Amino acid sequence: MHELGILFNVVRTVEDIARQNQVTRIAALVLQVGELSPVVPHYLQACYPAAVDGTLLEGAELKIEVTPGNALCEPCQKVFNLRASRGKCPRCGRSQYEILSGQEFLIKEILAC
Amino acid sequence: MKVIEIKQQVYQQNDRIASELRAEMKQRGTLLINLMSSPGAGKTTTLVRTLEALRGEMRIGIIEADIDSDVDALTVARAGAQAVQLHTGGMCHLDAFMTREGLKALNPAGLDLIFLENIGNLLCPAEVDTGAARNVMILSVPEGDDKPLKYPQIFRVVDLVLVNKIDALPFFDFDLTVFRQRVSALNPSAQILPYSARTGEGLGAWTDWIRAAAAQWKRA
Repeated sequence: MHELGILFNVVRTVEDIARQNQVTRIAALVLQVGELSPVVPHYLQACYPAAVDGTLLEGAELKIEVTPGNALCEPCQKVFNLRASRGKCPRCGRSQYEILSGQEFLIKEILAC
Repeated sequence: MKVIEIKQQVYQQNDRIASELRAEMKQRGTLLINLMSSPGAGKTTTLVRTLEALRGEMRIGIIEADIDSDVDALTVARAGAQAVQLHTGGMCHLDAFMTREGLKALNPAGLDLIFLENIGNLLCPAEVDTGAARNVMILSVPEGDDKPLKYPQIFRVVDLVLVNKIDALPFFDFDLTVFRQRVSALNPSAQILPYSARTGEGLGAWTDWIRAAAAQWKRA
């Protein structure tokens, strides 16, 4: 349900852009999903056919690129993956960090026919 | 085949509408508060108590959101608020599009304060800008002091955490000191106010917070 509502947002934006570019058929839609963003690629794929039904995106393939959830440890300056290290710096064991990547959720591009 | 680069945040459109709503509310001098919590934390009871405490002092509107029912809107309307019910039809969070619909239905003219009662859920309401001026969450004692560890995002985005049901503290292993530490590790500027909507203990600090926020919103 969560992913479906989000995809409605995506469809609205893509249709606007396609119209501005005089695109009438879309072969593929590419989304960039960060590991730390609140969307699950698997569920996006599952909801996608329902979300695009009857829109310009109907029949277009959905491609998802996943970007890593990386952070910079503030005390020891190590860059580490938050998922793999379960939120703790693998070098100093602390949890004071700045998130560098992985929160993004972008409509990257469309491939027009 | 032609590649059209978009590189646009999925929520860009939503965020633009949210900013427009905030500007409009600013002009009206109406403070819009997004109230979030799990189901059963006491959002509606807290609102009813708040309406009683501020009666005659502030004109208050409430936008209730639920998957499907209008129990909450009826309850707060009985308590004296101007209320509308949004049916989200299965959506698990409110976005700026829905807030805009709610505001249209409510007619905010002359209101000092509007509560947007979000859907009971600690996950995605935290991710989407509704257009509110302040974000407030309620966490109740029976839910446990470990919630900042499990649902960090919502604690990062709120201005205030209300800790409800403190009259139940003797029956639960809820450590307020530990809870404060966990919240402040995620969000040092978040305020924390313990209270009980049932007994009324601590409610005064919450209504004072509202008065200060509303005055600041009108002034600045």
